[in-house]
Amino acid sequence: MPSANVLVVDDEASLRKALRASLSVSGFLVAEAGSGDEALEALHQRVFELVLLDINMPGLSGIDICRRIRGFSPHTGIVMVTVRDFEEDKVRALEAGADDYVTKPFRLRELIARLHAVLRRTRAFESAGPSVLTAGELEIDIPKRRLTRRGEEIHLSPTEFDLLVFLMKNVGAPLTHTKLLRSVWGPEYGGELEYLRSYIRMLRKKIERNPASPEYILTEPWVGYRFRNPSDPDSPPVPAEDEE
Amino acid sequence: MWPRPGDLKRSAVSALLGAMVLAALTFVSYRSHLDFSIASLLYLMVVVVQSLSGDFLAAAAVSILAVLCLDYFFTQPLFSLRIASTADAAALISFLATALVITKLVSRARAEATSAKLQKERLDRLYQVSQQLLMLDPDDATGEKFLEPFQRIFGVTAVCIFDAETGETHVVGDSRHQLAERVRDAYIMGRDSDDPNTGVAVRLFQTASKITGAVGFEGLRDRADAAGPLAVLTNLLLERIQEFRKASAASAAAQVEVYRAAILDALAHEFKTPLATILTAAGGIREAGPLTEDQSEMAETVEGEAARLGRLTSRLLRVARLDRDEVKPRMETVDAGSLADQMVAHYARQFRDRRLSVSRPGGLMEASADPELLRLALSQLVENACKYSAPGASVLISIEPRPGRMAIRVSNSGSAIPSREKRLIFDRFYRGAEARQYATGSGLGLYVARKIALAHGGTLDLETRSDSSPSDSSMRPPNDDVTFCLEIPAVQEEEVHAVG
Repeated sequence: MPSANVLVVDDEASLRKALRASLSVSGFLVAEAGSGDEALEALHQRVFELVLLDINMPGLSGIDICRRIRGFSPHTGIVMVTVRDFEEDKVRALEAGADDYVTKPFRLRELIARLHAVLRRTRAFESAGPSVLTAGELEIDIPKRRLTRRGEEIHLSPTEFDLLVFLMKNVGAPLTHTKLLRSVWGPEYGGELEYLRSYIRMLRKKIERNPASPEYILTEPWVGYRFRNPSDPDSPPVPAEDEE
Repeated sequence: MWPRPGDLKRSAVSALLGAMVLAALTFVSYRSHLDFSIASLLYLMVVVVQSLSGDFLAAAAVSILAVLCLDYFFTQPLFSLRIASTADAAALISFLATALVITKLVSRARAEATSAKLQKERLDRLYQVSQQLLMLDPDDATGEKFLEPFQRIFGVTAVCIFDAETGETHVVGDSRHQLAERVRDAYIMGRDSDDPNTGVAVRLFQTASKITGAVGFEGLRDRADAAGPLAVLTNLLLERIQEFRKASAASAAAQVEVYRAAILDALAHEFKTPLATILTAAGGIREAGPLTEDQSEMAETVEGEAARLGRLTSRLLRVARLDRDEVKPRMETVDAGSLADQMVAHYARQFRDRRLSVSRPGGLMEASADPELLRLALSQLVENACKYSAPGASVLISIEPRPGRMAIRVSNSGSAIPSREKRLIFDRFYRGAEARQYATGSGLGLYVARKIALAHGGTLDLETRSDSSPSDSSMRPPNDDVTFCLEIPAVQEEEVHAVG
C-alpha cells in the first residue's frame, strides 16, 4: 500500500512523539498537532489522508473537531482515540463521522491495522465500487442478488441481502445500530434494536460456520456490528476474553 | 387508699393548728358570753378555713373537736359533755353533719385544684425538657448533655441512663444511692423499680417490644406519675439521636464511595495515556527492526506487560463503574456453551498448572443475557477458581439447562471457603483472610458478579455439598471443593425459532 500521510492530534506530547516515531518506521508520513485548533490549521494547509484524533482534549473536543473535518473534507479517514470504555463515546465518535476508533491503551499493530483498513476504504471510495464483493469463503454478486459460500448458493431474504451488502461494503468498519437501521431499512428507523438483532441472528445462522462464535459478523459490544474479512491480514482478530 | 406516713404527719400538724385556733376562739367566745348559735357559726368558719388546706382528715378532726367544745362550753349542763335536751342534741348533730359535708366538699375541690396544678407543672416541665432536648444538636448530644435538662428542670438529685445498644451508662448529678447500679439491675431484671426509701425510680424503655435501655431518677418529686412519661421521652430522643447517627454514618459512607469511585476513575484514566505511549514505543522498536533475538524478546516483554496493565486497568474501571451504577443489561441470545469453551481456552493459557474443563450437554445452550456482562461475571468466577486454588487443582465449568433457566456452575477443588466467611464473600470489598495472602484483588469481583446475576433476574450463590444433586456428582471435583452457581434465564424454544 502506498504510504499515507497521517495527522496525529493529541495533547500528550510524549504520546505524539512515540506515535510519530513508531508510525514513521511503519511507513506512514506523520505530522503532529497538540490541540484542536492546531489540527484544523494543519488540515487547511495540507491534505491528509488520515487523522488520528484524541477524543479528550482541553479546548475543542475530539468530537467537535471530527464534525468540523467532516464539514470540509468528507473523504479524510478519521480514527478516534478514546480513553474511556464508555460505549457512548464510541457511538458519539461514529455518529460525528469518525471511520473507526481505538481505545487507549492500544497495541501499535492494532492501530496500524485500523489505519490500513480505513485507508483502504477511503481509497476504494474514490474508485467506483465493485459489483462483486468477496470475504473469506463468501462471494456476493450485487446486480444478480446472489450469495455463495465456496460456490454453493445461500438463499437470503431481500432485507437480509441488503443488510449483508451494506456490511460487506463497509468491511472492517464499526457500524452503529442506528446507522445500520437507517441505511438498510430507511431514515425513519433507528431505535429498533431487537429488529436488527433478529436479522443479524438469521444472517449468522446462514453464513457463519458456528453462529455462536461468528467470524464474519462481529458484535461491537454496546455499539453495533463490524463485518470482518477473515482472509484479510489486517482484519481484527475474533475478540477473545481479556487475558487477565 | 390509705394516706402515706408523710401525709399523716402533715395532717396532724394542720389539725393541731386548727385546734389551737379553736381553743383561742372558745376562750374569747366564752368570756364574751356568746350563745350557742353565734359560737357555732364562728366554729363553722374555722372548719371551712381548715378545709381550704385540702386536708380532709385534719378538717374532720377539727370539726369533731368543735362539736365537743360546743357541747362542753355552750350547752346545758355547762362544763360537761352530757346533753340534757333533745334540741341541743339535734343542734350538735346538725352542726357536725354540716361541718363534715362542707369539709368534704371543700377539701375535695381543693385537692383536685392542687392535683391539677401539679399536673400542669409536670406537663410544663416535661414540655420544657422535651423542648430543650429537641434543641440539642444530635451530633454532639452525648449522654451527659442529654441528661442535664432533666436535672435542671425537674430538680432531681441525679439521673442516669443506660443504653443497651451501645452498653453505655451516663450519670448526671450526685447519687447517694448507687443510681447507676440500680438502673443496670433494673435492665437486667427486665422490670421497672420504685424505692420509696431512697426516692429512686427506674423505668425501662422499649422499641418494637424489645427493651432497649433504662433511665433512673433519684429525688424526683411526684415520682410515681412523672417517671413513666420521662422514660418515654428519653427513649424517643435516644432513638432520634441513634437514627441521626446512623443516617450521618450512611451519608458519610456514600460520600466516601463517591470519592473512591472518582479517584479510581481518574487514576485509571491517568494510567491509560502513559500505557498507550509505552505500547506505541515498544511496538515502534519492533517495527523499526532488525533486532537481535534478545532485543526483540525484551521489546515484546515490554509490550506484553504494558498491554496486561492496560487490560487490568480497563477491567478495574469497568468493575468500579458497575459497582457505582445500576447495572442495565442489554439482553441478547448468548450461547453459554461456547462462552464456557472460550473461558476455559483463555484461562488455561494463563493458568497452565490448573486443569480446566467444561462439562455440558451437546447442542446450543442459549441464554438470554447481556453478553459482555455475562462474560464479566463468568470470568470473575473462573479467575477466582484459578487464583484461589492450589497448582494442579481442577477447575470445572458445568452447564445445566433447567426449565426456563440455565445454571452455570464453576467449581474448583481444594480451597474450601471457611464457613464463617461464606456469607461475607458477596459483600463489597470483602476479601477472605486467605485470599489476601495468596492473590491480589479488589474485593469487588463477587459483589459485582452477583449484581450482574440479579440484574438479569438470576442468582449467584455459593453451593454447599448438600445443594448438589447426587446424580451428577461424578461431574464434580472431589470434596473440599468450592462451587459457585450462576443461574440466568434461558431462551425459550419458541423465542429462538420465532425470529426471522
